[in-house]
Amino acid sequence: MSELAYLLKRKQSIVAWSDRWQADAARFADGHRDLLPKRITNAQLYGLGNVVRSVGRYADIERFILHQAEKAERAGRLDVQRYWNDLKDALGKLRNEAQVLLKTFPLPAGTDNWEALDALHRELAGLYVQHLIAHSLYWTPAQEDSRRRER
Amino acid sequence: MSEQSFQEVALRVALERAMARKSDEYDQSARRYADQLVGTKLDKTQIRGLETLASTTDKVSDITDWLKLRVGRDSGRERWAKEGIGRDLVKELEGLRNDAKKIVQGLGQGDPDLERQVHLRLCREFLKHLAAHFEYLKAERER
Repeated sequence: MSELAYLLKRKQSIVAWSDRWQADAARFADGHRDLLPKRITNAQLYGLGNVVRSVGRYADIERFILHQAEKAERAGRLDVQRYWNDLKDALGKLRNEAQVLLKTFPLPAGTDNWEALDALHRELAGLYVQHLIAHSLYWTPAQEDSRRRER
Repeated sequence: MSEQSFQEVALRVALERAMARKSDEYDQSARRYADQLVGTKLDKTQIRGLETLASTTDKVSDITDWLKLRVGRDSGRERWAKEGIGRDLVKELEGLRNDAKKIVQGLGQGDPDLERQVHLRLCREFLKHLAAHFEYLKAERER
């Protein structure tokens, strides 16, 4: 497969994957809705987004998340610690997704397999986090009002 | 022209026709959203921003993520969160997937990504109508 064909196929696969996995990220956000936005703040989510966009290795994302979990544990905020651990698991599982996607477009000759897998894993994690942040912040006043009325 | 190329062109023409028909159907619904949106503090830059994003991205999720973020940030409930307009629009755009599904089923086409691509095109069409109506209605109001 030529370099150009590879890049095109890779892009198309990632785009379709991102649209498919938006619902999963939304379920994650909804499943932890009770922690938003007080226990898990918007600033923390934006911080996660910045880290995911800027790191050079997937391990750096995991390190950041583990650090958040440890901080929460030290502060006795076990529900928050669980959030970060759940997120670590959710993003960690995307490595399998990256492996499956990689099989659909053979790498050009000379490409390091591990580098390609790690780069793809990072990219998928970035898209997942983009969906996660958007859905976590997606909290309409109408919803808040109806919740208040229920109380 | 080979038989295969002829079939590809015929499929493309049928697809474009089906999407154009749907686009015309969306006009009234898009106008209703525009009517509601001119009653918010949103200006045409923001509506144009959404339209531009839709026409440049290759992901439907980018459009709905964009809207979700703006609904979430509108704590004053004067723009995208006013009277649930942003939430309704997210649902509307997500619902266009059903139209995309019907179009693709009608073509009997096997490309697994085609439904997603048609969905994206339908979102663009819907938002194109919405932006046009919004600008028109906004200008009318300001006259």
